[in-house]
Amino acid sequence: MSTPARRRLMRDFKRLQEDPPAGVSAAPTENNIMLWNAVIFGPHDTPFEDGTFKLTLEFTEEYPNKPPTVKFVSKMFHPNVYADGGICLDILQNRWSPTYDVAAILTSIQSLLDEPNPNSPANSLAAQLYQESRREYEKRVAAIVEQSWLNFQLQIDSLISS
Amino acid sequence: MSNDIDSTENDGENGIDSQKPEKMFTLKKWNAVAMWSWDVECDTCAICRVQVMDACLRCQGENKQDDCVVIWGECNHSFHNCCMSLWVKQNNRCPLCQQEWSVQRIGI
Repeated sequence: MSTPARRRLMRDFKRLQEDPPAGVSAAPTENNIMLWNAVIFGPHDTPFEDGTFKLTLEFTEEYPNKPPTVKFVSKMFHPNVYADGGICLDILQNRWSPTYDVAAILTSIQSLLDEPNPNSPANSLAAQLYQESRREYEKRVAAIVEQSWLNFQLQIDSLISS
Repeated sequence: MSNDIDSTENDGENGIDSQKPEKMFTLKKWNAVAMWSWDVECDTCAICRVQVMDACLRCQGENKQDDCVVIWGECNHSFHNCCMSLWVKQNNRCPLCQQEWSVQRIGI
């Protein structure tokens, strides 16, 4: 059944296809438009460069009045990302606006990667290293960037074999 | 319109009109094209992403197209009244400029 939330998500999808933002990609899952898979490519000239980070976006029927739940599926090492992949980002919580769409959410998360907010740490080790030992921080990030390729390759392989 | 100018009638004292060359063409027909747009800053409802002058996604689905009206804030941002009334229940700010939402007018 089509609801306002589902129709809005179809519009979001159309906009993503017609005017795709750089470095992000997303699509609803095959049988559930309320659940999306997305990929954010690590921005150039950042420690996250060339990473292919997979996320899920889970919407409710209250969308766009309520934000979706967005989580990294790929392992992430970032001051504002929790161990379970949850993201601490103001626009996904108290600063949400119903004018945001999937493209806006993903580009915001993409820019959060290189502009962490150390004041609201979700990963205290990442926040500490970011502020006190940038070299060690970048080493840890490089590790999850490499891991993101491995997982990406596994997903491609399983898609090809299925 | 005629190019047949009677030079004797307009013949001034200095005789300038009598030196005018014969007109090279005659305008027989012309078509005017006018463009218009709604006099609002934003013509798409940023909440449901449908034109404000069309019914919002909710009303389209419920076949209530005629009841769907536009609401303007003091900030001059416009939305569907239905979309906005659901949003202000949880946050009384304009979704576009984050200013405190106060209604300027409602209607078509």
